[in-house]
Amino acid sequence: MRILIVEDEPTLQSQLAQSVREAGYAVDVASNGVDAHFQGDTEPYDAVVLDLGLPQMDGITVLRKWRASGRSMPVLILTARDGWHEKVSGIDAGADDYLTKPFHMEELLARLRGLIRRAGGHASAELVCGPLTLDTRNSRAVVDGQTLTLTSHEYRVLAYLMHHRDEVVSRSDLVEHIYAQDYDRDSNTVEVFIARLRKKLPAGLISTVRGLGYRLSAEA
Amino acid sequence: MTLSAWRHSLRIRLLAGTLFWIFGTILVAGWGLSTLFRQHVEAQFHAELRTHLDQLTAHITLDAQGRAQLALPLSDPRFGRPYSGYYWQVDDMGQGATPATALLRSRSLWDVALVAPVDTLQAGDIHVHQVVGPQGKRLGLVERSVRIDDGPDGKPHTLRLLAAADADLMAEPVSRFNGALWLALGVLGAGLVLAAVVQVSVGLSPLRALRTALARVRGGEAPRLAGDFPVEVAPLVEEFNTVLAHNADVVERARTHAGNLAHALKTPLSVLANAAQAKEQQDPELARLVVEQIGVARRHVDYHLSRAQAAATTRVPGAKTVLLPVVEGLVRVMQRIHAQRDIAITVQPWPAALAFRGEAQDLQEMLGNLLDNACKWAAHRVEIGAHTDGATLTIAMDDDGPGLDATQREAVLRRGVRADEQVPGSGLGLAIVDDLARLYGGRVELLDSPLGGLRAALTLPAVA
Repeated sequence: MRILIVEDEPTLQSQLAQSVREAGYAVDVASNGVDAHFQGDTEPYDAVVLDLGLPQMDGITVLRKWRASGRSMPVLILTARDGWHEKVSGIDAGADDYLTKPFHMEELLARLRGLIRRAGGHASAELVCGPLTLDTRNSRAVVDGQTLTLTSHEYRVLAYLMHHRDEVVSRSDLVEHIYAQDYDRDSNTVEVFIARLRKKLPAGLISTVRGLGYRLSAEA
Repeated sequence: MTLSAWRHSLRIRLLAGTLFWIFGTILVAGWGLSTLFRQHVEAQFHAELRTHLDQLTAHITLDAQGRAQLALPLSDPRFGRPYSGYYWQVDDMGQGATPATALLRSRSLWDVALVAPVDTLQAGDIHVHQVVGPQGKRLGLVERSVRIDDGPDGKPHTLRLLAAADADLMAEPVSRFNGALWLALGVLGAGLVLAAVVQVSVGLSPLRALRTALARVRGGEAPRLAGDFPVEVAPLVEEFNTVLAHNADVVERARTHAGNLAHALKTPLSVLANAAQAKEQQDPELARLVVEQIGVARRHVDYHLSRAQAAATTRVPGAKTVLLPVVEGLVRVMQRIHAQRDIAITVQPWPAALAFRGEAQDLQEMLGNLLDNACKWAAHRVEIGAHTDGATLTIAMDDDGPGLDATQREAVLRRGVRADEQVPGSGLGLAIVDDLARLYGGRVELLDSPLGGLRAALTLPAVA
């Protein structure tokens, strides 16, 4: 799961990036509206945390432009302006949720999880696939009551596959969604993560669809 | 008309000025015309008497004894009818010594003689007198003297010839004329007064239109003075609209400043809160204190910002907000921010024209907070309904949540009190709504909902 964090205040930006990263997401950051718009327009993010008061281009304009060009990733607006008319204009510009400063980081993470889950059409915070349960609230994967020990990259791959279970996910999709922008990407490493996950998961849960990618499915 | 009415009413000033001139002019004209006519009638009257006198002069002769005789009767029959009002008489002045007796007189005089004042008449002179005639009537009288040097008796005779007529005959057409004259002038005056009233009323009608436009602005039906005004009033209207625009501008700026202040304060508060939480392991006491104090600071900022915004708001006249779009916008927000809670928000239909007399942002604040509360507490359903009784607008928000008992209802309307610390929110929502509603002369009531939970009823001024 890859998240874009747009915040112009440097300290808050690094706090957000750190907390979201610790929650198991790949994180990109942007400090102004123009960069934010470009990144959101070109990279496949699973969610965006968007501050409204941005230099160069305000957040509402950025959001409108994304929506106008068909970008549909969930967007959580983060702003100090807590008037309801601002919430209305934010939601009407295409935001999916709204959080006002000062906020509790746990609440932000909870909202973010909710947004990603709902974007994938999942109602519950716990994603289930056969014997495997993934709790997005605490980034835990459990198989038959046993908690799996996963590295952050393994978790990201598994979480992405869980959010898109029963779908074929291409290797490049996985690369796009588990690495932050500035990370040195190597699609071969994805194969390594998949191999490691297969060892930790019950056999047959992750299948390879030749030439297309991988599929996580309970019906092998 | 009191002095203050005079000073305070343009209509009275204009009418009083016009009426003064109308009545003054009519009086002078009436007096002038009446005098002219009277003089004309008098002149006519005397001219007629002189004609009779000329006839008398022509017909007078002396007989052989030197007595005056009338060769022919005067042609006017009124001289033959007793006390007809037309009289003549011939006096003998003798040699200018003794005043003469009536030598001859008209039959109309019957047994009375005219007594003319003693007078010295040059030959050919005609004198005019007022005398009292038969039956005590006032008479107009003309006289002349005729000197006959060679009478049949060889003596010179001086005769005084008098012709008189009843002065009432002269007064009667004058009074008839005066009657007609004053009637005509009265009608004219009434017409002019009516015209003046109409003129003042038409002339001042732009002011009435201005007052109506102002009332509409004050009543919140229009944001500025609208309509075509004459060039004399238009600059005033323009100035007033400029003031209104300026006022709205000031409020908008105050809002922007308030928002900027919020942004400026809240971002560092967020940074602080996050930093404190990050250090929770090392110094839990400090972290707890910082988080708690940040909460307090945030509540103060929120409270005073909303108060400042509210205070700036209600002074802007002419604000009108149609209810439905505001509710629809808020419902969209609620559906998003409470998306994971699966709550059905129903808007009961109401007339599309229902409108609040005030600013859209304030309505959004009030309804947003109430609706947010309803969604937080609802189990499955939230319903919004509205109705108006003309002057006030009542918006009711129902939820099927646990509701509040009487003490709790009392408590949550007070500043900073939360019904349950478990549900996120500053606890200020309802108190702010109540403050805002009161600024508009409205109120918030917490009641039992037919859905089983709480009903928040917001009463606000409506735009009729």
